[in-house]
Amino acid sequence: MAELKLGELLDFGKKAIAAAIKRGANEAEAYLSIGTGISIDIERGQIVRSIKSMDQGLGIRVIFNKAVGFSYTNILSDKNVNETAIRAFGAAKASKPDKSWVKLPNPRSYSDTNKTYDKRITELSSDALVDIAAEMLGVVCDYDKRVLAVAGGASTSVFGNALVNSHGIEVSEVGTAIGCSMETIGRDGSDVTPACFDLDAQRVYDIDPIVVGTEASRQAVSSLGAKKMGSGVFPVIFTQAAFHSLLYYTVINAVKADFVQRERSAFKDKIGEKVASELVTVYDDGLLDGGLLTSKFDCEGVPCQKTLVIEKGVLKNFLYDNYTANKEGLQSTGNASRSGQTSYSSTPVLEANNFAFKEGNKTTEDLVGEVKDGLIVYGVQGAHSSNPESGEFSVVATPVWKIENGNIAYSVRDVMLVGVFFDVLKNVSALGNNVRKLGHLVAPWIRVENVRAVGRL
Amino acid sequence: MKDLLKKTVEYGRNLGAEYIEVRAQNLFKTLLTTKDGTVESAKQGTESGVGIRVLTKGAWGFVSLGKLDAKILSEAAFEAVRLAKAASLHIKSPVELADVKVVEDIVKANSRKKPQDVSLEQKINDVLETDKATLSFDNRIRSCTISYLDVTGTNYFVNSDGASIEQDKLYVWSRILASAKEGNVFASAREEIGSTAGYEVFDVQTPEKVGEMVGKRVVDQLKAKTPKGGSFPAIIGPNVVGVFIHEAMGHLAEADLTLSGSVLFDKLGKKIASNLVTVFDDGTIEGAFGSFKYDDEGVQTQKTCLIDNGKLTGLMHSRETAKKLNMKPTGNARGEDFRVEPIVRMRNTYLAEGNSSFEELLEKVDFGYYLKSFRGGQANLDGTFQVGIQEAYEIVNGQIGEPVRSASISGNTLETLLMIEAVGKDFELYPGRCGKAQTAFICDGGPHIKVGEVTIGGGA
Repeated sequence: MAELKLGELLDFGKKAIAAAIKRGANEAEAYLSIGTGISIDIERGQIVRSIKSMDQGLGIRVIFNKAVGFSYTNILSDKNVNETAIRAFGAAKASKPDKSWVKLPNPRSYSDTNKTYDKRITELSSDALVDIAAEMLGVVCDYDKRVLAVAGGASTSVFGNALVNSHGIEVSEVGTAIGCSMETIGRDGSDVTPACFDLDAQRVYDIDPIVVGTEASRQAVSSLGAKKMGSGVFPVIFTQAAFHSLLYYTVINAVKADFVQRERSAFKDKIGEKVASELVTVYDDGLLDGGLLTSKFDCEGVPCQKTLVIEKGVLKNFLYDNYTANKEGLQSTGNASRSGQTSYSSTPVLEANNFAFKEGNKTTEDLVGEVKDGLIVYGVQGAHSSNPESGEFSVVATPVWKIENGNIAYSVRDVMLVGVFFDVLKNVSALGNNVRKLGHLVAPWIRVENVRAVGRL
Repeated sequence: MKDLLKKTVEYGRNLGAEYIEVRAQNLFKTLLTTKDGTVESAKQGTESGVGIRVLTKGAWGFVSLGKLDAKILSEAAFEAVRLAKAASLHIKSPVELADVKVVEDIVKANSRKKPQDVSLEQKINDVLETDKATLSFDNRIRSCTISYLDVTGTNYFVNSDGASIEQDKLYVWSRILASAKEGNVFASAREEIGSTAGYEVFDVQTPEKVGEMVGKRVVDQLKAKTPKGGSFPAIIGPNVVGVFIHEAMGHLAEADLTLSGSVLFDKLGKKIASNLVTVFDDGTIEGAFGSFKYDDEGVQTQKTCLIDNGKLTGLMHSRETAKKLNMKPTGNARGEDFRVEPIVRMRNTYLAEGNSSFEELLEKVDFGYYLKSFRGGQANLDGTFQVGIQEAYEIVNGQIGEPVRSASISGNTLETLLMIEAVGKDFELYPGRCGKAQTAFICDGGPHIKVGEVTIGGGA
């Protein structure tokens, strides 16, 4: 099927900007994206579906007398692009001036990224992807007959982005991604485990479906026969999935400049202060090799960068997009994001890129072995109901295992974890050496002392 | 448009598709975001595209693309057939579809105030009025973020059974999020408004009314204490009942998840809840956020009884799950847009009202919690649920006491449904958005209820 080249995307962008400026816009910015995704879906123990999706589009942001208007379309033709630019200008005219508006970004120079594009992914056929899914599924089916492969699959995506603005930014790039995932449950008579999950997502063709299938199956079998437990305060080992959920709704918001500027961040006025255990060093690294959210430029055309957020427990920097940086006379840290498959339909929002925790030196065996009486949590339910301002959370740990005398002893159920996530950061007592990428997070397993668990006997 | 889609269906049939459906959309959206009196963005956009789904040799192929011309549609149909054949290589239990009535219909939106007839200026002014009403409620309220969305347009559906449906889409939605700070105490609160009727929803949900409601909710939390952790009796308000019924019960009764081993897997026809419990998923409520006439498989919507006086009597189905369980399709197959395929989703899901007054529910509680409004919830296949609570109060000696903040409740769905001791005679329905890989617009609700015991977490 006919696909657009990046050069053609840039041309549509330039036409859109010219049309808006001609109408009388003070500034204009065009963001364009194009993508093709293939996915193979597993449901209830079998491959049932192959999907191919293709979409493209343009979003144009127009500024008129400090008022911002935006319009988008997914039909890229000269006529439609022109109409979209005119509609964005109309929206700006209908809107109200934003006193804090300064200007769109100026051109700056870009760094190259590594391991963000792999030609092999672009050439991988849907049949080859079916084989990957089948291999992973085979592992699950052979592992134990009490394990059911509830859902999962394998997918690739190939995408291109371009950004043009009226101050001279003109930049584009292509990227690839591949992943496989498996959700399982264990079922033995009336004993049903919670959903267990593993995934491997990469930018280059380097995923291991056998490891994913094995790990998702191992969790399901190990979750069977869960016991109840009483309440208490425990050391807790968070795997990446559990830690990411809680972090995303609390700390990642607290370091965003718009939360800080609007008094919604507990980190306001805390730059230079200790906010975490001294074991904690975090970079937001938009240029990380092979990072899931790595790119040359952010969604306003600002170069992505590596920003030190927390160093040995001390808060160092907040994350900025163009608008929040201009408010303080600073430079954007390249954290403007437009998410999702239809990124062209959204205006930029401030978001973390790869939120990377410096790894520790403990093996996973050490992390567990040093715990006398504690928990290891593979996922949490309800993290999105955390209080973004105060960091208070109250979530169900699932799946979760009890650690006794340095060994993972048995799975437990009906366990809630409650606390303030900012305290969790302060109580980090060890980090593993098993760094993985998951969503915005790049981190190892993290052990935290004194986490309150509410059980039900 | 329909002729083009019919040709594509025919082309797919000739290529060997046993079943093929083509869904096309032309959508127009308006989105506004304001932050503290400032319009962050005023957006308008158009989206057009098509999703082609093919069933061949027991497996699905699906292709979506943001284009609508004849040549490309044929190529996409070809690709969908090829994808289905690739997926079918490993099929053990072939996908089949339940028979449904073949429909030909045109459904027009019928609102008093069409969103497309209201000027962008007016929409911006209305949103800013709500922002002002919220921020001016109390000077401890530090921020207010409002999102507004309206979607209008037309869906086209044609399949190889002969169905041909043209259906207008109309959604109006708004979310208000406020935060407050006093000393070191942070609080936040939110409210959503949503309708498939039209812009007239804001004649009822006026800026003053919404601003006061959100303002009071957030300010109350500043003086609130954190709850004790543990198990307590609770009076649960309609807003939290709704999310409990949706998250904890509803998802387990989505037949795809039931088949995937949810705890309702072997419970059809069995008692799973207190006799006071009757639950519906109803797509027919006029103007409600989860209502529509035909689902995205061309099946007419209905009022589906899930629990009848404590007994599990129904599940929510697509044509595929209905066939697998030898039941009737219920019109619950929904796709967010042309980019994704229809899957089993809820519509307006609620607990039917009983006959207790609010006072009767309260009077026998010595100590417990009144859980009034929620902030997010999630359920697991094993029946473990969690619902975050943004507005709650202590109950002491049958009276509503002091406010409580940042609580959450959890438990096991089946155990909790059995512990419902009384059901109120009031009733309210709340709009929301549900995420299950795709987003669906839904409602949930019910009356106040009394539950013998739920686990309250929260309180650091």
